[in-house]
Amino acid sequence: MTAPPPPPSTGRELSSPPTDGISNLRFSNHSDHLLVSSWDKSVRLYDASANALRGEFMHGGPVLDCCFHDDSSGFSACADHTVRRLVFNYNREDVLGRHDAPVRCVEYSYGTGQVITGSWDKTLKCWDPRGASGQERSLVGTYSQPERVYSLSLVGNRLVVATAGRHVNVYDLRNMSQPEQRRESSLKYQTRCVRCYPNGTGYALSSVEGRVAMEFFDLSEAGQSKKYAFKCHRKSEAGRDIVYPVNAIAFHPIYGTFATGGCDGYVNVWDGNNKKRLYQYTKYPTSIAALSFSRDGRLLAVASSYTYEEGDKDHEPDAIFVRSVNEVEVKPKPKALPNPAT
Amino acid sequence: METTCGSLLSELQKIWDEVGEVDKERDKMLFELEQECLDAYRRKVDQANRCRAQLRQAVADAEAQLADICSALGERPSHIKKSSGSLKKELQEIMPRLEDMKRKRNERKGQFAEVLKQINSISTELAGSTKENLNTILIDENDLSMKRLDDLRSQLLMLQEEKGERLKQVLDQLNVLKALCLVLGMDFKLTVCGVHPSLDDSCCAKSISVDTIESLSATIFRLKDVKLQRMRRLQDLAMTMVELWNLMDAPVEEQQMFQNVTCTIAAAESEITEPNCLSLEFINNAETEVIRLQEMKMSKIKEVFLKKRLVLEEICREAHMVVEGQFGTDFSLESIESGAISTSFLLEQLENQISKVKEEAFSRKEILEKVQKWLAAREEECWLEEYNRVGHNDDNRYNAGRGTHLLLKRAEKARVIVNKIPAMVEALKSKAKAWEKERKVEFLYDGVGLVSMVDQYFELKHLKEQERQRQRDRKKLQGQLLAEQEAIYGSKPSPSKSGNKNLRPSTGGVGNKRFSLGGAMLQNTLADKAALSSRSLLKNNPVKRQSSHNHSNKAFMPHSSGKKNTSAGPVKHHSSNASNSQHAELLPLRKALSPLSSLSSNIISCNFQDQNTKSGDFQDTHVVCKTPATTPTKNVSTHDENRTPKTMPIPVPATPPTVSAAMQTTTTPFTPAIRVAGGVEYSFEEKRAGFVLPRSHSKTLQLV
Repeated sequence: MTAPPPPPSTGRELSSPPTDGISNLRFSNHSDHLLVSSWDKSVRLYDASANALRGEFMHGGPVLDCCFHDDSSGFSACADHTVRRLVFNYNREDVLGRHDAPVRCVEYSYGTGQVITGSWDKTLKCWDPRGASGQERSLVGTYSQPERVYSLSLVGNRLVVATAGRHVNVYDLRNMSQPEQRRESSLKYQTRCVRCYPNGTGYALSSVEGRVAMEFFDLSEAGQSKKYAFKCHRKSEAGRDIVYPVNAIAFHPIYGTFATGGCDGYVNVWDGNNKKRLYQYTKYPTSIAALSFSRDGRLLAVASSYTYEEGDKDHEPDAIFVRSVNEVEVKPKPKALPNPAT
Repeated sequence: METTCGSLLSELQKIWDEVGEVDKERDKMLFELEQECLDAYRRKVDQANRCRAQLRQAVADAEAQLADICSALGERPSHIKKSSGSLKKELQEIMPRLEDMKRKRNERKGQFAEVLKQINSISTELAGSTKENLNTILIDENDLSMKRLDDLRSQLLMLQEEKGERLKQVLDQLNVLKALCLVLGMDFKLTVCGVHPSLDDSCCAKSISVDTIESLSATIFRLKDVKLQRMRRLQDLAMTMVELWNLMDAPVEEQQMFQNVTCTIAAAESEITEPNCLSLEFINNAETEVIRLQEMKMSKIKEVFLKKRLVLEEICREAHMVVEGQFGTDFSLESIESGAISTSFLLEQLENQISKVKEEAFSRKEILEKVQKWLAAREEECWLEEYNRVGHNDDNRYNAGRGTHLLLKRAEKARVIVNKIPAMVEALKSKAKAWEKERKVEFLYDGVGLVSMVDQYFELKHLKEQERQRQRDRKKLQGQLLAEQEAIYGSKPSPSKSGNKNLRPSTGGVGNKRFSLGGAMLQNTLADKAALSSRSLLKNNPVKRQSSHNHSNKAFMPHSSGKKNTSAGPVKHHSSNASNSQHAELLPLRKALSPLSSLSSNIISCNFQDQNTKSGDFQDTHVVCKTPATTPTKNVSTHDENRTPKTMPIPVPATPPTVSAAMQTTTTPFTPAIRVAGGVEYSFEEKRAGFVLPRSHSKTLQLV
């Protein structure tokens, strides 16, 4: 370990972190490998358990998102409008295709074998990564969105697209011709992040105004009665509430509880069913840009990286912390009273 | 020589003659010559003599040496001295013989050394390393005879034999030890190394010293002792186990698991050779099994005990005897558990008690039947009273409704029964008295003297009679009064109901006070039946129904609590229950989500805000301010929010304009007009990337 020993509460800091803001990080579904995209135009692959950098790809522009394909390859969404496929073993990258504007987010659907990218060109594109290099063969479809795409999340065949202007479109991947549901964010302010529940019944959506909405796909009255929103990542100071953007949501793969990370540098763990906060980790040096639980939920990767919420200014160095997750921090604590939200 | 000497002399004569030497001189010269010649002879003789002496010495020496060697070798000197020729010849003859003997002696010496070396090494081994070099045998140069060698050789043989024996002994002991260790589940190598490191199997030269053998046998003795002890322990356990099995009919599979334990029961010490069958682990296993079985046995005994006690209580109850106080000994479970009384003794006691109680119950049977009959009769009496009482007030009594004839029939029957009561009670009393006389104990019915019960009943009946009489008088008076009034005013008011109510509690309440469970049950069913049958008839008479309900309630009381209970008891209870539940209903269910006050505090209960929303305007609740706990600052901030997010506070005031600017562009979805006016919102990333929406895009957006 080359990094200076961090306080035990924040977890182990990965050595050789990106040199600029971290846009996203994700654990592999097969190992403890961690894929990290960054504004320093790089995509890095770490072995989180060994604390070792396993690979690095340099792109033509800041990388705004990345995701795994399988354990040996992944995809990146780059501000140079390009969607790339990265093969880690051979350090090879193929261009899957291009958008008309920076690509904001990328997801890979194991169910359909497609890559889905969302861009600020107000479109969603699906790609077939098996298609040989060349847009005409890999592009499956382009679906226009009401606004610039800010966040994507997948569960099963459901795709939730959050865009600017607080639009939320819910798609069925098997029929992308039009959204299954067109919604408006329940929150009044700009959407920062959307993540589907692991059980596939709904999604959590966070805004720049320290608030998270818990939504459900079920449109029946009973289904919709369960939805709610809550405030978080705020601070009362001198009689005023300071509100921080909620940049990241990550669901625990086993318990279905979730962690939120905000510009206040805190990571909170919540039990959505019981409407309880389970845990608050000690403050990280700067904003939490991204969060990811490992496949078994034993590790939580925390990107502590200034997200430019206050423009260009001096800030703490960008760092990735990998902390082991104690069961009590993420295990739901059923409350005594019967719960309408379950 | 003679010639030369003579010639030389004559020559000298001539010379002298010529010279003219005087005779004197001549004589002197001649004398000198003669002297010189003599000296020369003498010298030679001496020399020869010395040489001869030396030779003789040498021969003698050699002969002595030869003799020495021969004697050392134990051989007869073969050479007999015979003067054969000159000394030199003799010496020549003796020297090779001497050389030969010397060689022979050296050979012998080598043989000795060899044998001695072996003897020494073996004796060292036998003595053990501690006594090394103690009795090393040295070669005796003077005795190198074959006899001595043979002696030594036989000694060596003996030692070798002894060594072999020792080795065999050690090996035997090791085998025994090995078997013991195997049986006891101990590490053989470790045990053996404790005795002597060389005894380990891997080592070829085993120590065979006396010490080793002694400590080996000591170890064996010790282990045998251990084995014996363990065997006894195991046999004890096995015995207990088998006993418990037999006692509890343990399933065969369960027994099979410990077959190897029980098969040792009758085994002699030498018969137990199975590996590990006396290991601590094995014994502990058996022990835990025995403990488990014993616990099972205890629980089973308890079960039996409880069953017996239930039987006893059942009999007592049936015979309306009080269970407590029947026992001389303490039959509680605690006494079993504490082990104060042996379980078998307790069971026996209990058995005795049961038979005694049974006997008594049998003797009580006849009387109890009578009591039962009496109680049933009383029941009917009560019913009849009630019927009569209500009937007086109920004008519909004779209305032809369903079941009316049944009621009438029952009333008729009841009257017959009631008439029989005094005779019945008398008989009962006399029977009870006879029983008491016979037994010299008071006849107790559920702990109450039957005779006193009967007396009480009579008293009560008497009181009731009086009451009835009074009532009748009053009625008569009333009737007169009415008649007078009628005479005066010409109208007849409805008959007064006053007084009737007062009667009710005294009918059932006091009379039922002592009803036992059986009686209560009976009474209860009767009451129910009455209620049922009267229901159709008395539908429009709530008072009656109420009373019958009360009645059954009361009847249940002894059943539920077993004690005398005030009639207010259950009602009160109920009411408190009701108030409780009411209370619970009134209590507002704690809102699952408490309002957010501050995140920096350490409250674990979260800051969720329960917002039951239909459309997506969660923020509306701020305006409504549903939760009183909301802090005033909160309200202020929400107020701000609702207008413009411009003033949304940002943690670091140093560079607020950028962020607040971003917030400025954030628009609410409900006022699209603002969007046109306020421009486009950008995310942090878009701003950082310097991404600006083309104008055409924003226009299409408005179209969308």
